[in-house]
Amino acid sequence: MFSKILIANRGEIAIRIIRACRELGVRTVAVYSEADKNSLHVQLADESILLGDAAPRESYLNVDKIISAAIHSHADAIHPGYGFLSENASFAHAVESAGLVFIGPSVDSIRAMGDKAESKIKMKAAGVPTVPGFEGLESDEEFRKAAHEIGYPVLIKASAGGGGKGMRVVNAENELSEAIESARREALNSFGDERLLIEKYLANAHHIEFQVFGDKHGNLIHLFERECSVQRRHQKIIEETPSPLLTPKLREEMGAAAVNAAKAVNYFNAGTIEFIFDPILSTLRQGSGQAFFFLEMNTRLQVEHPITELVAGIDLVQWQIRVAAGEKFPFTQSDFTQRGHAIECRVYAEDPANGFLPSTGKLLQFIEPQGPNIRVDSGFKTDSEVTHFYDPLLAKLIIHAENRESAIQRMQTALSEFIVHGVVTNIDFMQAVLKHEDFAKGKVSTRWVEKTLESNSLLLDVKRQASSLQGLISAALADVIFAGAKSQPAISNETDPFNPWKQTRNFRVSDK
Amino acid sequence: MKITFDVQSLEINPSGEEYVAVVDGQTVRVQILRADAGTGRMELSIDGQRVVAHVSSDMAKRWVTINGQTVMLTKTSGAKRGVRHDYAGGLIAPMPGQVRSVSVAVGDIVKKGQTLLTMEAMKMEIRIQALNDGKVTALHVQQGQTVEREQILIEVEE
Repeated sequence: MFSKILIANRGEIAIRIIRACRELGVRTVAVYSEADKNSLHVQLADESILLGDAAPRESYLNVDKIISAAIHSHADAIHPGYGFLSENASFAHAVESAGLVFIGPSVDSIRAMGDKAESKIKMKAAGVPTVPGFEGLESDEEFRKAAHEIGYPVLIKASAGGGGKGMRVVNAENELSEAIESARREALNSFGDERLLIEKYLANAHHIEFQVFGDKHGNLIHLFERECSVQRRHQKIIEETPSPLLTPKLREEMGAAAVNAAKAVNYFNAGTIEFIFDPILSTLRQGSGQAFFFLEMNTRLQVEHPITELVAGIDLVQWQIRVAAGEKFPFTQSDFTQRGHAIECRVYAEDPANGFLPSTGKLLQFIEPQGPNIRVDSGFKTDSEVTHFYDPLLAKLIIHAENRESAIQRMQTALSEFIVHGVVTNIDFMQAVLKHEDFAKGKVSTRWVEKTLESNSLLLDVKRQASSLQGLISAALADVIFAGAKSQPAISNETDPFNPWKQTRNFRVSDK
Repeated sequence: MKITFDVQSLEINPSGEEYVAVVDGQTVRVQILRADAGTGRMELSIDGQRVVAHVSSDMAKRWVTINGQTVMLTKTSGAKRGVRHDYAGGLIAPMPGQVRSVSVAVGDIVKKGQTLLTMEAMKMEIRIQALNDGKVTALHVQQGQTVEREQILIEVEE
């Protein structure tokens, strides 16, 4: 086992990894940018090293600085978390060249799957179904021809991409040039690579992904699916497992395809095979074959890994570290079953009523819900600053229950107890989604949020009740009774200002 | 005393053990059952109904959560105010970020919906578009510049 791990990330995922390390008796090194110097992940780690300015290129995306921090602190492995450098093959290579262990798959696996174009070619060869499209195009003219052949709407996406960055839906030819240009710019900015690919855009698709996990001894299994169709701007907001759409037969087929896909690139450690699933095709084809297509593989830990942990009963981050250290994964496919139902809601600092634009500021109040089977993975507390430099994810609220119905109820209760003041959040919006009949029926496809917002039925639900009488009275009363209370912070270096032993006046221990 | 949030005013005064609030001519009796300045949690009885509210203050802003629903109110003098993307012919930054690109110059004739400049914040691209056909009369930012929320970026005259 490693003695010290450097965590090349920030926020909730850095904290998640620090906790796993602590349980395994491994010391931790946090890295941070100027903007994060007071962050929780810095406070919780055993050691911390400043990387540089807030801009990711100067900090969390700076390979040289991170590797020299690892060498300096005598870490023997680096955990990349998700985002930032987690799927960057050059980074994984640089880690290994420095004599350190990269906690993740091999450089070759990242390279093969990290390139969306290359991976599609590999998957076709391995017999995994893929979405119709073209790879390796350069000029606008080539894209125009390809789009014409595939038929609009088409999807332009970064070859090196992930997480919806550098991705554009193009509905008609006159939108194509601007979409290519802005996708290129975003791709270059987020991944340092401007290559794009084009494929058919499946409008009513569901996003269903499979968790795979393997060791360096050739063992590889899947840990079932995650339904991630509630998305805005191609980024997930709510995930759940099991998917309300999958039959046992489909689950088995997709699981087998996921294992094949991962084995085709000799995968080990945690990874995710993303499929798009078309329920209409599935019904037409009586629930078998060709209703699901390989979308991409994420060669890292996913944001939504906790719901798999709850339903499969495994600590994925601990096992990531253990197999990276060379341990054998002792379980087989038949050791796992899906127990109960889990949902994750991503609490973002963003305004659903204003195009989901991020909201920044100081957290005046941050109260997380509590209770049985409620888990909150967050990197913030009251007084934390939410800046515009990084993703606006405040917390992941994850719950587990016996079945889907009670899971939804538990999530609604937990969300209603989550109090965030200082930035606008999507909490009310997620409540509106959870109580929508389409969600109850499992009919939410990846474009659902966009379409439902267009028709306004969801916006009405989340519209601020700014003139609510109770709200007005509470705010006014708070002004009256709390006036001055908050402006007098207890500034004192005394650990206990009321300590009687330090009182100098009018105090006697006994009355003798 | 009279307090105004956004455009809604109310009169609130102590009366013995309780408070009396008057909103839109409606009189409401309020009792404080419990209040904690540290967490901003208040347990009230409003016309006999138990209400648990969390309230935070930041300058003029008040954040109130009741039954899991959060509203943001702004304490004002009573005049109408609000954050908009346009301000007296100028286009303002909807959030803090950095100017990625500027596609027009002063004097340019622009069409409604045309992208004038792009901003980046939290790795997201935001396009600032012309609200009407018109002419660019002033450009207050340049590429690479960091801007604050509500800063005027560009002005277009119809």
